[in-house]
Amino acid sequence: MKENKVKKTLALVLEPIALGLLALLFIIPAITVVNLQPITKKIKDLNVLGVTNSSGLKVNIIGGSHLIFLNERIDSNEDIYTYKTKLVKREADSYSKPILEIVNDKDEDVNLEIYGGTSIPTNSDIGIIIEEQRYRLQEPNGNLLTQKITLRPKETYVIYLYIESFSDVRFEEDFELNIKDVQ
Amino acid sequence: MSKLLKRALKNSLFPAILMIAGKVLGIFLTSAIYGLTIEVGNELNGIFSTQIYFEDKAVTLFVNSFSDLSMFLFLAIPTAYFIFKTAIFQSTVGNPKTIVKVTKFNILQWITKDDTTFLKIFIWCAFLWVASSIVVINVLQDSTYTWVGILAGSFAFLCGVGAVKTFEIESNNVYPDNKRYY
Repeated sequence: MKENKVKKTLALVLEPIALGLLALLFIIPAITVVNLQPITKKIKDLNVLGVTNSSGLKVNIIGGSHLIFLNERIDSNEDIYTYKTKLVKREADSYSKPILEIVNDKDEDVNLEIYGGTSIPTNSDIGIIIEEQRYRLQEPNGNLLTQKITLRPKETYVIYLYIESFSDVRFEEDFELNIKDVQ
Repeated sequence: MSKLLKRALKNSLFPAILMIAGKVLGIFLTSAIYGLTIEVGNELNGIFSTQIYFEDKAVTLFVNSFSDLSMFLFLAIPTAYFIFKTAIFQSTVGNPKTIVKVTKFNILQWITKDDTTFLKIFIWCAFLWVASSIVVINVLQDSTYTWVGILAGSFAFLCGVGAVKTFEIESNNVYPDNKRYY
């Protein structure tokens, strides 16, 4: 009688554990397989502190938090650096944020081509500010402009992203900025 | 603990091991066959700390595609075998012509013992669905070739249909339909 009771209690305790184990037998292989996904080392090295190319140009993301510019990240593919951020919905106003720090470690000038914008026009004026000089990248009607900038040797530059909305923007939009090293 | 749960646990162990083995073997065999440089690192990036690196994006895509395919095949082949075997076994019960065909193809040993239960098929099918979901997600994330995703998705779907059919036949054995005498 007593033995039966112990068996019943044990079965009651073991049943949920066994169910959990069964679930784990499905979950653990799935997670392991996802984690075993091979990755490209070049890409993996990005988004940590910044990216460098062989020519001695260093592009660092400044980061920090901002109400309008979210999820900032930087990728690199050969000589093109791509900065991406999400522009959230906002009221008509002017916003800016330091986004990148570019270091020219070379002993000579580096010429950069900078272009980018949002895929859908947001009726906003978007551009960058380098050493208090404004460079327009996207007009309110969505037209994209390419800017050519020369970096002096052994100099560090901070790039600000500015956005001026002339009317309230009621949707989120992904913004992409490309920096191309023109040799 | 119920017998069903015990059997489910017992039946789930092997496909779980095969799923991981398929992926790992796929990565290392593809790298070995094509002479690709592989690097194993351990940086904390997810739940597990082991990462497999390749230097080129195209190589990563290639290896990931073939390792996904290998993982999928490791599960798909036994599942298809179980479904096929059960289908033949059930067909021989009601149709003597099948026995002749089975004898002709020399696969009589398949029908001498019905050790494949619906539970086994269901568990293998569930693992196949998990594996094919991972493959399809990889395709959507551009980290696996599209044809691998299409193959995995379609095959998993067909196996799902096969498992349902098996269940229908097995449940008919317990609760025969009106047309059959019992």
